Amino acid sequence: MDKHPDLTLLASFGRERLSRRRNRDIVRHLLARCESCCRMIAARSLYPFGLRERTEAPPLAYAAAFAQAWQETERRQAALSAERSEAPELLRELLVQAAGRQWSLASTAPRYHTWAFCELVVDAAWELGFQEPSRAVDLSRLGVEIASHLDAAYYGEARVNDLRARAWAGQGNAQRILSDFRPAEESFAKAERLLRKGTGDPLEKARMLLLKSSLRGNQQRFREAFRLLDRVVAIARKHADGQLCGKALIMKGFLVGVANDPEAAIRHLAAGIRKVDPISDPRLFMVAQHNLVVYLTESGQHDEALRLLESARPLYHQVGDQMALLRLRWIEGKIAVALGHFTAGEGILRGVRKELLERDLGFDAALLSLELARIYAEQGRSAEMRLLAEEMLPMFQSRDIHREAFAALLVFHKAAEMERVTLGLISNVTNYLQETRSARGLRSREPR
Amino acid sequence: MATLDHPELRESLNILLKNARPRLERVLRNFEIPPEDAEDILQDAQLTLLYKWDKIRSPESWLVGTIKKKCIMYWRKRRGSLCEAVDTAILDLLAVPQAPAQERAELTCDLNRVLSRLSSRCRSLLKLRYGLGYGPTEVAEQMGYRTSSIRKVTNRCLAALTRQLLAVGFDREPAGEPQDG
Repeated sequence: MDKHPDLTLLASFGRERLSRRRNRDIVRHLLARCESCCRMIAARSLYPFGLRERTEAPPLAYAAAFAQAWQETERRQAALSAERSEAPELLRELLVQAAGRQWSLASTAPRYHTWAFCELVVDAAWELGFQEPSRAVDLSRLGVEIASHLDAAYYGEARVNDLRARAWAGQGNAQRILSDFRPAEESFAKAERLLRKGTGDPLEKARMLLLKSSLRGNQQRFREAFRLLDRVVAIARKHADGQLCGKALIMKGFLVGVANDPEAAIRHLAAGIRKVDPISDPRLFMVAQHNLVVYLTESGQHDEALRLLESARPLYHQVGDQMALLRLRWIEGKIAVALGHFTAGEGILRGVRKELLERDLGFDAALLSLELARIYAEQGRSAEMRLLAEEMLPMFQSRDIHREAFAALLVFHKAAEMERVTLGLISNVTNYLQETRSARGLRSREPR
Repeated sequence: MATLDHPELRESLNILLKNARPRLERVLRNFEIPPEDAEDILQDAQLTLLYKWDKIRSPESWLVGTIKKKCIMYWRKRRGSLCEAVDTAILDLLAVPQAPAQERAELTCDLNRVLSRLSSRCRSLLKLRYGLGYGPTEVAEQMGYRTSSIRKVTNRCLAALTRQLLAVGFDREPAGEPQDG
């Protein structure tokens, strides 16, 4: 090409708009050192290498870009609002169906394949997580299925991949709560792969890492869990997301406590509590306060624990689920025992143990029985200790207790028979049960 | 953050975008985004914000950060596609069958002149690519690079070449290309 290329052609050079032949002609022209064309390219449109001459540059005006972008956003916002108003009814409609029918509808009926409905299912599965873990897994699977049918051309491929990743991470979390670690691991791997094809939103990634840190904690891979949580805190701080930062600190506090460092647990939990907004997530706030009370009690700071418990008490009632109220009574009993009010503490703990057994929560009942054993050991009540040990064995032959934990309880039972139970033995069995629980899924005191 | 109703969400978005607009314009201007491409960047970020509204606690800072990131990606993509266009064009020019000898000699001469302004490592790499028609794996073998890193190195050299091609008369120092050693 001897003559200069057309101005509009030059402006389109290297922008996937030109034919291969035209690109070739322009490059040939530039190879021959055409200074005027190079200047034109640099000044007009092609300045990706910082070659733009600012003095010659026309002023950049963005009014039209803002107006057009808003127009489309407004149109989508109206459509999304319509989806959101329909979503709750769709969910009710879906959940009354039998499981197989739910799955078939979620897979085939286009009215369920909306962003708002998918988000609602994913969030609903999340809410169910600690109340009904099995149902949460089923619902999170539906969320994954619905996400796989979202129209990427309409919602945007990267955004849809973000939501798909969120759905998979939610499923991984629900599987973790059920202690299905291998499937949970696979779900998180899938979520990570999808996030790599997503919008690159750091907050989306941070939320996924937060959930993954719980899995690592359950797997006793604490260093990895802490590393993930530190990344979450860094991202949350950078993006001024106090809630996310608080959640990560609370989770770290919880895991540090499980890893037997109650002082660090107290520090992190207190820092996390200062950051979270109790109004937008009262359950998280309550669980965090509860854990703080537990670690304050365990580290002998009973007055501080009591003070905090009094201020947090309305929250337990506000959150209102039965497990939360049961946990409140449990910690009250524990503090009472720690303060030497054995009769009151024993009464409370016995009542809580009865309710735990009614709910088939054998693991929690085992831990609580060991707290009763501590009272009997301190007061030298060996007959009651023997009776307690007798009661414990049959009640813990439930599916909630696995073999190793049961073996630890047998050791305790034998010692009680021989009147050889010491506070040291009770501590060892308690620690062993707690470690076994950590490896299976930390349900009772875990932040969400 | 609770899900907002239709009018509330519209109003909140509108207020946010009005407040954030001066900052967003500054970002677009600093990154010298062409106005015709700014619409895509703005729209994409705004739609993501809309869909994730309930999950984002500081929407303005999120939006500004996202737009910045998109501006960086925009230029990265533009540079990539420009380099690719230059590379494809040169390969096509060299592959033209039965080109007159004089045209071919002129092309080689012009290409060598541009290559002579690159670092010796880039010059060697691109000579293997254009002069001898080597593929990436052969170039990696010849120059002692790992196959996994050859694409990155080639891209850097192509960027240096493209910069030189467009830099005639500007007398800018080339930056960011692989150095010897």
